[in-house]
Amino acid sequence: MNGRQAANGAIWIALLTMPWWMNALGGYTELGTQVVVLALTAMALNFLLGFTGVLSFGHAAYFGLGAYGVGLTIRYLVPSTPLGILVGVAVGTVAAAVIGALIIRLRGVYFAMVTIAFAQVFYFIAFRWNKVTGGDDGLISWTRQPLDLGFARIDILHNAIAFYYLVLVLFALAAAIMALLLRSPFGRTLLAIRENERRARFLGIPVELHMWLSFVISCLFASLGGTLYALLNNFVDPRALHWNMSGNFVIMAVLGGMRSFWGPLIGAAIFVVLQDYVSSMTENWQSFLGLFFVLVVLFFPRGVLGVLRRRAVS
Amino acid sequence: MSLLRVENVSRHFGSLIAVSGVSLVVEPGELRAVIGPNGAGKTTFFNLISGFFPPTKGRIVFDEYDVTKLAPHRRVKLGMARTFQITEIFPELRVRENLRIPVEVASGHRLRPWLSRDADEEVRARVSELLEMGGLTGHADRLVGELSHGDQRATEIMMALALKPRLLLLDEPTAGMGDQETYNITQLIRRLHKDQKLSIVLIEHDMRVVFHLADRIMVLAEGAVLAEGTPDEIAKNEQVQAAYLGNVQEKSA
Amino acid sequence: MTQLIAFNVFNGLIVGAFYALMALGLSLILNLSGVINFAHGGFLALGGYLAYTLIPHIGFWGALVVAPFLTAALGLIVERFLIRRLYGRDPLYSLLLTFGLAYIFEDGTRTIWGASSVPYQIPASLNSPLSSQFFFLTGYRLFMVALVAVAVVGLFLILNRTRLGMRIRAGTSDLETVSVLGVNVRILRTLNFGLGIYLAGLAGVLAAGMLGLEPTIGTALIMPSFVAIIVGGLGSLPGTLLGGLLIGVASGVTTVFFPSASEAVMYIMMGLVLLIRPRGLLGEEGRIQ
Repeated sequence: MNGRQAANGAIWIALLTMPWWMNALGGYTELGTQVVVLALTAMALNFLLGFTGVLSFGHAAYFGLGAYGVGLTIRYLVPSTPLGILVGVAVGTVAAAVIGALIIRLRGVYFAMVTIAFAQVFYFIAFRWNKVTGGDDGLISWTRQPLDLGFARIDILHNAIAFYYLVLVLFALAAAIMALLLRSPFGRTLLAIRENERRARFLGIPVELHMWLSFVISCLFASLGGTLYALLNNFVDPRALHWNMSGNFVIMAVLGGMRSFWGPLIGAAIFVVLQDYVSSMTENWQSFLGLFFVLVVLFFPRGVLGVLRRRAVS
Repeated sequence: MSLLRVENVSRHFGSLIAVSGVSLVVEPGELRAVIGPNGAGKTTFFNLISGFFPPTKGRIVFDEYDVTKLAPHRRVKLGMARTFQITEIFPELRVRENLRIPVEVASGHRLRPWLSRDADEEVRARVSELLEMGGLTGHADRLVGELSHGDQRATEIMMALALKPRLLLLDEPTAGMGDQETYNITQLIRRLHKDQKLSIVLIEHDMRVVFHLADRIMVLAEGAVLAEGTPDEIAKNEQVQAAYLGNVQEKSA
Repeated sequence: MTQLIAFNVFNGLIVGAFYALMALGLSLILNLSGVINFAHGGFLALGGYLAYTLIPHIGFWGALVVAPFLTAALGLIVERFLIRRLYGRDPLYSLLLTFGLAYIFEDGTRTIWGASSVPYQIPASLNSPLSSQFFFLTGYRLFMVALVAVAVVGLFLILNRTRLGMRIRAGTSDLETVSVLGVNVRILRTLNFGLGIYLAGLAGVLAAGMLGLEPTIGTALIMPSFVAIIVGGLGSLPGTLLGGLLIGVASGVTTVFFPSASEAVMYIMMGLVLLIRPRGLLGEEGRIQ
């Protein structure tokens, strides 16, 4: 138990002090922000994947809807960052609620296949609806807006560190809510479904309802991740919705350890740093990434934290 | 007023008729055994009662509610709980958590994002009580997947009991057990029946267990009722001896 | 207008035939092995590029015969050394593995053959319009439809008439019994995978002549193939065929009236099917769970 508290403490200290050590290690603040944003999304996915046992391969849809939600709001409606985030999250969550209701009776590979296919709908809308979304070129001519707290204005646009802390606050909030849920009676019903759906059903749990709720909660936080991703880049294009992105989230969760709460954070950190490094070295980043997927699956299916935990037990 | 009334149910799988026109009435406080040779349709019959799938024909009434087409979790809410022939538990969770989940469901907490301190205390107390009753207190913090077969079976029965059922359905509770384990489980079921006046329907292969426990016995063969009566009547029934007991002797020989 | 609609229906039928050919291969593998082969599009592209490389040496007809077999051979190797290791594990892992392979295929073809579309020679005898009024009825298009039809009939003959095919079908409905009966399930799965990849390779050779050959050709076709499987019905090959043709025609017709929705329409169809009949048009009951 103490080991776990120490690990939690270490993670939070590392995240809180990131702007100080990132530059010393040869990175830059935005890289750290990107890690936290993608980690948030991968953790959201893992709420479903690792803790409910439901294989979604289409989380880019909700991530991307969040991203377009915030971008379109600031570009066309109101120049407000908080409002943009709210709209983005709302759009992603509503879409998840509707799609979730359609697909929740499917299982396993079939569920995965349908989630992938549905994600493509939004990809094509973003891709084709040139006039509004900017199509393949992406949505430009907008930037994140300063935060107005009434008594003070925080310039998150030009101050990368200020934006990092905004992201970190939202990340902390999301992580806290997910952790709370996983330790609650509701969270235990999700574990029950993951462990043995039949048993869960015959213990009086309406499995479909609970899976759907888990799906919607997971997508809610994934779309929050998407809004922050768009704000980080001041830009969003259809690639945020592409299934490649979905696959990346899954590999982050697996790489870090699906059964661990913090696993996806570790996975996201490794993924982002590796991507940053390798894509600056070679044009064949994609082949490298593909090989990476294959190697992780064949030799490292439990992920970093899964392996560490095994070591600790034995 | 009877607790469970199964009226003339049938279940077809394509052209296969697994259960054909079976009726059963269970009175409150009764312990009823369902026996029959392999492939007699016992488990299918159980699946119909517990809502695994709906019957092709017939009606099932539980406590005056027509539950024929009700989803399993709603039947649980009305007071039915079951175990499975092949143990169904949450292998990678601790024994304590395995019991905690049904306790929380039965207390109406399943959608709650947190529990008040009082509610939490109550749940813990109930879990301890169940651990004690199942003889599992010593294993409470182990993963249930690591326990012996007998302890896993006991955990599963306790999970069903955690739901505070009025009717407990046990599908071969002693399957795959050694003599000592069989004895323990039999004593447990006996206590539930005698001390708590729990109504129980059980499928069982072990005739010692059946004749030791059951108030009444129903014999299924080829999907239909072959005989019904008290243990004495069944033991004397020639049809049963021919169709079923003979079969068992052949097998054990 | 009639001509325009006819044109687009026909076009949709051709595109649908590709979807179906690809989806049939995917379906074969999914039904017997429980693996969603994300790299299927990569195999398709490879089939096209192999044909492109072979045509100057052995001509179009030679390439049409040889390229799908080479593709299938690579498929056998991939199954034997990679995918086989994941049977019986959480489907998540085979999905991730083939996902990674899809990346490697796409990047690999780009590195070898270049990122831009390459000129693809089809015989002049196939390339002329058959009538001036229905200008779109080129010999190549008709030939393609005919060849897809032959491939589909051939596939169903293999499945229904040969020992291998009957074992594949039996294994799909009850793998345990088949293995108890002494069929070597490992070899069965390998051959079945090869058969699926052969269809992908064939689709690649044909599609290249129609859609133009570039590294992303497979990625563009794989999503509609998923939709075809879902719409047609999980576990049913005739369903997959029907699903492919249906969404092809639907998107063809939509192109006439509302071109920017031509892709979206198939996903709308998928949503409707899932809403009204979750197991798909010809899907078996109980397969989805």
